[in-house]
Amino acid sequence: MKHPGLAALYVLSLLAPLLAQAEGHCVSDALDQSVCLAEPARRVVSLSPGATELLFSAGAGDRVVAVSAWSDYPAEAAELPQVGDSNRLDLEAIVSLAPDLVVAWVDGNSRSQLERLSGLGIPVFWLAPRTFDDIAVAVSDLAFLTGSPELGAERAEVFRAEMATLNAQYADARPVKVFYQIWDQPLMTVNRNELISKAITLCGGVNVFGDLPRLVPRISREAVLEANPEAIITAGSSDNRQWLEAWREFSGLAAVAADNLFLEPPDLLARPTLRMADGARHLCQTLEQARANL
Amino acid sequence: MPISSPHKPLLVLLLAGFLAALLSVSIGSTTIGFEDTLRVITGSGTELQQTLILELRLPRTLSAFATGGLLAVAGALMQVLLRNPLADPYVLGLSGGAAVGALLAMLAGAAGFLVSGSAFAGAMLATLLVFGLAHGSGSWTPSRLLLTGVVVAAGWGAVITLILAMTPASRLPGMLYWLMGDLSHAATPWPGLIILVLVCLMVFPLGRALNVLARGSLQAAALGVSVRPLEWSIYLMASLLTATAVTMAGSVGFVGLVVPHMLRLVLGNDQRLILPACALAGGTLLVLADTLARVVIAPEQLPVGVITALIGVPTFLYLLYRSR
Repeated sequence: MKHPGLAALYVLSLLAPLLAQAEGHCVSDALDQSVCLAEPARRVVSLSPGATELLFSAGAGDRVVAVSAWSDYPAEAAELPQVGDSNRLDLEAIVSLAPDLVVAWVDGNSRSQLERLSGLGIPVFWLAPRTFDDIAVAVSDLAFLTGSPELGAERAEVFRAEMATLNAQYADARPVKVFYQIWDQPLMTVNRNELISKAITLCGGVNVFGDLPRLVPRISREAVLEANPEAIITAGSSDNRQWLEAWREFSGLAAVAADNLFLEPPDLLARPTLRMADGARHLCQTLEQARANL
Repeated sequence: MPISSPHKPLLVLLLAGFLAALLSVSIGSTTIGFEDTLRVITGSGTELQQTLILELRLPRTLSAFATGGLLAVAGALMQVLLRNPLADPYVLGLSGGAAVGALLAMLAGAAGFLVSGSAFAGAMLATLLVFGLAHGSGSWTPSRLLLTGVVVAAGWGAVITLILAMTPASRLPGMLYWLMGDLSHAATPWPGLIILVLVCLMVFPLGRALNVLARGSLQAAALGVSVRPLEWSIYLMASLLTATAVTMAGSVGFVGLVVPHMLRLVLGNDQRLILPACALAGGTLLVLADTLARVVIAPEQLPVGVITALIGVPTFLYLLYRSR
C-alpha cells in the first residue's frame, strides 16, 4: 500500500470489533457464547414471554421493539408488535425490524432458526434460567446489554435478598410432602430441577416426585396415591379448581384428609422471572397453611 | 361334553383375556402382590389397595378391553366392506373427525365429558359426511366409498395440523396424547362394553352373509344376499364401534388393522369365527398393551398407542412371513 495512513485505517477497521470487545460490552450467555455490543442495544426483539418480562425488569422496556406471541406481562408488552410464536418465528419480520439485539430462550426457540439470524450479523443472547440465581444474573446481564447496568444490578440484588429471606425463614420449618400438579389430562408434575420444585424446597416442602428423571414427567394417579402427599398444589385460574376437587374422591390421601388442596395464583410461578419472588412468597404462605391443617 | 372344535379358539381367547385382565389389575406403578390382588377382589385388603385396584385399575382395564374389542371388530367389518386388506377403522376419516371434535373442545379449554362428547359428535359427523358424499349422483361402489373416505380423512388431517399449529404450547401435551391414543381419559368402561356386546349380537348372525360378501358383491347378490342394505348396515355398525372406541381412548392405532389379519392368518377367513375372536383378541391385546404402557417407565406413563404398534408390528410381520 502506498499510503501508510490508509493502511493504518484498514488495520483499525479490522480491529474495531475487537476494540469494542475490549471496551467491555461483552456478556456470556446461556450457551456460553460471548455476546458483544459496541454500544447498548436500542432495538431489542424478545423471542419468549419470559425474556420479555426479564427485559422489562431490566429497565429495557422502552427498547423492546417486538415480542413473541403470549408476551402478556407487563401490560405494555402485550401492545408491542409480535414476531410469531416462540417455536415458529417469523424471521423475515425480525430481520426487517433491524434489531441490534435478539433475546432467545433455550427451551423455547429453535436453534437452527436463530443461527440464521446470527448468520445475518444480528447478535443473539440466549437465556436459560434454571436456578433463582440465574434469574438474577439474567436481569443484570440484560440491563448491562441495554445500557442500565446499575438498575439491573440493583433489581437482581433485591431479588436475591428476597429469596434469601424466604430461605432463612423456612429453613427449619416442618417438611411437608407436596404434589405439584401442572396438568390434569395427562396428569403431569415437575421434578426437582424445575424452578417450581425449587420454590417448594425453599418453603420447606418436599416434592414427592422430585427424583423422577424427566423435567416434566407424566405420571399415573396411582403413583400419587402411593406417594400420599400431604398437600396437593396447582396453579392457574379458577378452572383448575376442579383438578383439585377431583382428588377428594380419594379420601385416604393425607392431603384430602387435611383439606390441603391449594390453587396458587396463575403466572407467578409459571415463568422464571422476578415475579418468582412473589410466587415463592405466596407458596410459602400456602405451605404454612398446609402445616397448620396437618 | 367335549367342546366342538370351532369354538375352541374362542375359549382359548376368552381365557387369555381373563388372564390379561388379572395381570393388568395386579401390576402398576405401585406393587401389589398377586395374593393381595386376589384378597382385594374377594373384598378385603387395605383401603389403599382397594382404591388402586377397584377405582383406578379395574375401570381402566375394562376400558382397554372394550376399546380393543371395538376397534378389532370395526376393523374386521371395514375389511369385508371395502374388500381391501389395508382397511382399518380409521380409513374413512372417522378418527379424524373425532380428533377435530376433541381438539377443538380442548382448545376451548374444555375437559372430561365435553371432550369425549365432541369427539363422538365429530366421529358421527365424519360418518354422515362420507355416507352422504359416497352416494353422489352415480352408483355406489366400495372403491367410491373408500376414495371418498380417504379424501375426507386427508381433509381432517389438515384441520388437525392447523389446530395443533394454533395451540399454545402448554395445551399441546394433552392434545398429542389424545391423538396418540391414551386410556387415561376413559372415565367409565360401561358405554363401550355395552355397545361392544350389542353390536356383536347384531353382527354375529350376519357372519354367513359376510362370508359371501367378502367374495364380491356380484357373487353375494347372485347367492341371494341383499347387498346394498347389508353394506350400509355394516358401515353404520363399524362407524358406531369406532366412534365409541375413539371417544373412550382417542385414536389408538394398529389394533383395528392388525388383529383381524392376525386372526385370519391363524384361524382362516370365516367371519362367523373371526368377528367374535376379534372382540376377544383385540380386547386382550389392548389390555396387555395398556398394562405395559403403565409400567414400562413407572411411575411415568406412556400412551398406549405407542405400545400397540411396538407389539403389533413385529408380531404381524412374523405371522405374515410364516404364512404361505
